[in-house]
This record gives sequence, C-alpha cells and structure tokens, in this order.
Amino acid sequence: MKQESQFSSDEQHRHESGQESHHQTAREFATAEELLRFDAAQTVVPPPIAERLKQSAAQLAPPPRRAWWQKLFGR
Amino acid sequence: MTDPVQGPELMEPPPAAWPGDEIARLYAEHSRAIYYLALRFLGDPQRAEDATHDVFLKAFRKLDQFRGESSARTWLYRIAINHCQNLLQTWHQRHVVANSDDAIWDHAPARTDSPLRVLETKELGQRIQTTLDRLSAEYRLLLLLVADEELSYDQIAALVGQSTDAVRGKLHRARKTFAVLFEQTA
Repeated sequence: MKQESQFSSDEQHRHESGQESHHQTAREFATAEELLRFDAAQTVVPPPIAERLKQSAAQLAPPPRRAWWQKLFGR
Repeated sequence: MTDPVQGPELMEPPPAAWPGDEIARLYAEHSRAIYYLALRFLGDPQRAEDATHDVFLKAFRKLDQFRGESSARTWLYRIAINHCQNLLQTWHQRHVVANSDDAIWDHAPARTDSPLRVLETKELGQRIQTTLDRLSAEYRLLLLLVADEELSYDQIAALVGQSTDAVRGKLHRARKTFAVLFEQTA
C-alpha cells in the first residue's frame, strides 16, 4: 500500500480579537490526496443514478439459453 | 444530453445470468468511488451522473468477463477511466500539455511543501474542482486515484499504463502543482 501519504489530524484554532472571541475550525491536509479523500467522504452519490441503473438493467433482456448440445460442443 | 441507455451498446449481449445480488453489492461498495472519480475528473455533476450510470451498466454487461484477477474496484476504475477519457476526447476538453503543470510550481513563490489549510469547508468542493480543472488530465487522474486508499501504487501504475516509478515521480509533481494552484483559489 501507499507509503507516502501522510495524515494529519484536524486542528481547531481559537481566535480572539478585542473583546469578541469566537471559534474557527481550520483543517489541515498534509497532501492533495488527503484533501481529496476528505472531499470524497463528503460526496454523496445522487440517488437517481441507482434508479436509472435499475431501469436500464431491466431493459437488458437475457440472451437465449443455449441448448445442452451447444454447451457441450462449445457452439 | 442523450440518454446513454439508448445508445448502440444496448446491442451488446448482457451476462448469461443476471446476478442481481452481485450487481447490488458492486454498486453499494464502489459507487461512491466511481462517482467521485467521474465528478472530479469530468468536473460536471450531471456528466458524472451519466458516466457513473454508464460505467456500472458496462460493468454489469461484462460481469461474466470479470475473472477476479484484479480487484473489483480496479476493474471498475479501468472501465471508468476509459469511459471518462473518451468523454473528454469527445468534448475536446483536454488540457494542454502535461509539462505546463510543472511550470506552475517551478516558478511559484508559494511553498509547496506546507500543508493545505482550509478555513471554510463550505466552498471546499468548488475550490478543489477549480484546482483540478487547472491541472492536466494526467495529473488530475493520478491524484484522484492515489486518493483512494484501496489502491496501491502498483495498481495505479497498471491502471494508467505506466511504471510504478514513473507514477511516483509524476505524483510528486502533481502534488506540488496542486498545492500551488489550490492556494491561489483561497
């Protein structure tokens, strides 16, 4: 498996300015693939794909069954 | 966009026996990986939807040809890569020369070895897409494949038809180029 990937944990930074303080979440990614991995994990496959696929599969008629002698002689 | 189901590929014979459970399992296990590759490689959600549908339909038709010599994920990626690359060729959306990628970070003032910091994840997807769109198709594909932890470098090399060393070298450059371009999207 890949050895070069480095993983870093998410960091939370607190920024304070004047009297107002607030939390800001920063994420650090050591490599591009780590960032892409995070992005992929957030990605949801659109449900219509499965529905379309189901319909498309239903349109595919099974081929005619081969007779026993065709199977036997590889025709 | 025309319905890909209506294309001439419907003339191809489907698998002898339609293994419903196998289809459902393949889709459940790998649809996210295939959709993500199509989404970020093509850069268009609708096209990615169509591509994912077509890839799985192709896979289902050829299921009897899958002999388990490679992993199902690798097999599906191979179909997806061919499909997406054909689409890119058809749409004339290929990026220029791969070498132009290197020129980006060769002269970039930004440090390319610093971590990629993201303060706002809300528009992260758009930033990533903008960055990937500016990469060559080759670098884009390599980064998307290496992001899948299920793939080894050897498997990636086999998928893109290059040596493992060549893939490692190109990935090194692709990462640096990505870092520079990503920083520019902030």
